[in-house]
Amino acid sequence: MRTVGRYFGDIAIPRAIKAVLWVFVAFNLVILGWTLLSSFRGSRSLWTDPLGADGLNVGGYARAWHAGDFAGMALNSALTTAASVAGIMALSAPAAYALARSRRRSAAPVVTYFAAGLALPVQAVLIPYQTLSIKLSQFMVDWVTGWWDARISLVICNVALSLPFAVFVLTGYFRSLPTELEEAAALDGAGSLRTFLQVMVPVARPGLTIVAVLNVIGIWNELLLVMVLIDDPKKQTLPAGLSQLSSTMQYTSDWGGLFAGVVILVAPMILLFFWFGRKIMDGMTLGISK
Amino acid sequence: MLSPTAERTAPVADRAGAATRPARRRGTSEGPADRAYRRFMFPAALVYTAGFVLPSVYGVVLSFMKWSGPGTEQKWVGWHNYVRVFRDDTVRQAFGNTLVIVVVGGAGVFALAFCAMAVLREMRGRAFVRAAVYLPSIISMIAIGTSLGFLLNPDGVVNRLLRFVGLHTLERSWLEPQHIFGCIVLGVIWMTSGTYIVLLMTSVDGIPQHLYEEAKLTGLTRLQQFRHITFPLSRDMISIAAVLWTVNSLRTFDIVIGFTGTAGTPTPEARTYAVQQWMTTNSQVGIPELGYGSAMATLLTVLTIVLLVLVRRMSRSERLEIS
Repeated sequence: MRTVGRYFGDIAIPRAIKAVLWVFVAFNLVILGWTLLSSFRGSRSLWTDPLGADGLNVGGYARAWHAGDFAGMALNSALTTAASVAGIMALSAPAAYALARSRRRSAAPVVTYFAAGLALPVQAVLIPYQTLSIKLSQFMVDWVTGWWDARISLVICNVALSLPFAVFVLTGYFRSLPTELEEAAALDGAGSLRTFLQVMVPVARPGLTIVAVLNVIGIWNELLLVMVLIDDPKKQTLPAGLSQLSSTMQYTSDWGGLFAGVVILVAPMILLFFWFGRKIMDGMTLGISK
Repeated sequence: MLSPTAERTAPVADRAGAATRPARRRGTSEGPADRAYRRFMFPAALVYTAGFVLPSVYGVVLSFMKWSGPGTEQKWVGWHNYVRVFRDDTVRQAFGNTLVIVVVGGAGVFALAFCAMAVLREMRGRAFVRAAVYLPSIISMIAIGTSLGFLLNPDGVVNRLLRFVGLHTLERSWLEPQHIFGCIVLGVIWMTSGTYIVLLMTSVDGIPQHLYEEAKLTGLTRLQQFRHITFPLSRDMISIAAVLWTVNSLRTFDIVIGFTGTAGTPTPEARTYAVQQWMTTNSQVGIPELGYGSAMATLLTVLTIVLLVLVRRMSRSERLEIS
C-alpha cells in the first residue's frame, strides 16, 4: 500500500502535472507560431486551409498597414504609450523618493493615500472621464490653445490612473536602497534635485525599469479608455483598431490582413518580453518583498 | 497586473513611516528628501487627486442623477439608479457571469498555479516553462480573442480537428450565444494563469532548500512536500494572489470584446459586469445613461473595497492563529 502511495505521490502525479505544464507551454508556442505564420498567408488559403502553409505573402501587412491604417494607429499607440510612461515616471519617481526618504510626519499617510487608489477600479472614473474630457477639450479650444487632441486627454488619464501603482511600488523600492550614497552627496553640497537625478536615479535604475516596462505593457494593450475617450478612428490606438477590424471581418474576409494586424499589435510586446522578461517576472513582487 | 502590492505593503508602509518618526526627534539633520519633499511629492499628488480621486467622487455624485451626457438635462433622482441596478435582469445576468469568472475561472487558475508550485521548483527547463506560461499575460486580450475567434469559427480549426479525430458530436458553433461564455472563461484561465504561476513561484523560490531535503529523508513524497511545506509556507503569497485575482477578475472586460468585437453589442450571454457598465456609456448602443452607469461603477468600487477589507481581516486572524 505504501509503495503504491509512494509511486503516485512521487512519480505518477508529478509526472502528469509536468506533462500538463508542457502541454500548456506547447499550446502557447503553437498559437504564437501559427498566428505569425498566418499573418504571411493569403486570405482565401488561410480560410480554406487554416493549418497549411504557402509561400511568403506580405500582402496582409500591406493591406493592414495602408488600407487598414495600422500605420497611423501604431504611431498613435507608440506616442501615447511613450508620453504616458514618461509622465508616469517623471511624476512618480521623485514623489516615491521623497515619500520613502523623508522623515516628515505626512509621508506615511500620503503613501496610504496613493495606495488607496489601487482599490479604485477604472470603471469608477470611466463616465467622469468621458464627460470631463469633452469639457476639457471645449475649454482648451475656446479659451487657451484653440485646438485640442483627444490623445492628450488619453495620456493625462493614463498617467493619473497609473500613479497609485507606480508611486506605491517605487516608494517601497526606494526604502530598500542604501542611504549612504545620498548622505555622501549631501556632504558634497549637492542640491536635492542633483542628488536625486545623479545619485538616486542611477542606483534605482532596476526598479525604475521594471515599473516603466510594466506600465508600457499595460498602456500599450489598454482598450477601454481608448474606446471611451477617442471617437475618431484615426486617433485610436492599435487594440481599438484591431477590434474594429475584426468586427468587420464577416464582410471583408481579409483574414491575412487581420492576422497581420494581430502581429503588429503583439510583436512589440513580445520583443519587450525577450528583452525584459526575466526582470518583469522577478520584479512582480517588487513592492511586496522589499 | 495592477496592485500586486496593495494589500500587503500598506500596513508595512504605515509601520515603516511610524518607525522613522522618532528619528527626527533625535535631532538628525534634514536630508535631501526632506528639503525637496514638497517639490517632489506635490506634482504626483496633484495629478492623482485631480485626475483620479476627484473624478471618482464626481462619478459618485453622478450616480444619483439621471443624465444622458453634456447638453442634456441633469435630474436628481436619489437612490433610484441603485434600485434599478438590483432590479435589472441583464445586469443580474452580467453579474452572474462575472461571478462565474471569479469562481470557476479562479478555480482553474489556482489549480494550475498549485500544480506549477508542486513540480516547477525542480523541473528541467523551469525558466523556459515559466517564461512560456507567462507570455499570454503581456499580450493584448483583443489579439488573443481575434486569433481564438478564428480558430473557433464554425468551419475553423477546432471543429476540423474534432471532425478529424472522429468526435463529430462535439462540434459546436462555439461563438454562438450558448457556448461563447464557456470559451471566454477558458480564455481567461489561459490568459491569466501565467501571472499567478510566476507570482506564486517567487514565493516558492524563497523557501529554504534544506526543508525539502529533510522532508525527503523523512520519506515524504513530492505531493506531501507540497502539502506540508510549499503550501503552508506560501500562504501569505497565496492570499495576496487571491485578492489580486478577485479584484482583477471582477473587472474582466477586454477579453469579452476580443471574442465578440466592438460592432453592435455583445450578446447578453457573454457580457460581464464591466461590459454592461461600459454599454451604458456607449451612444452607439442607445441613449447613454450616465447616471445609471455611474451607479453600477460605484457598486463595483464598494464591492471591491468590501472584499479587500474582508480578505485582510481573514488573513490577519489566520496569522494570529499560527503564531
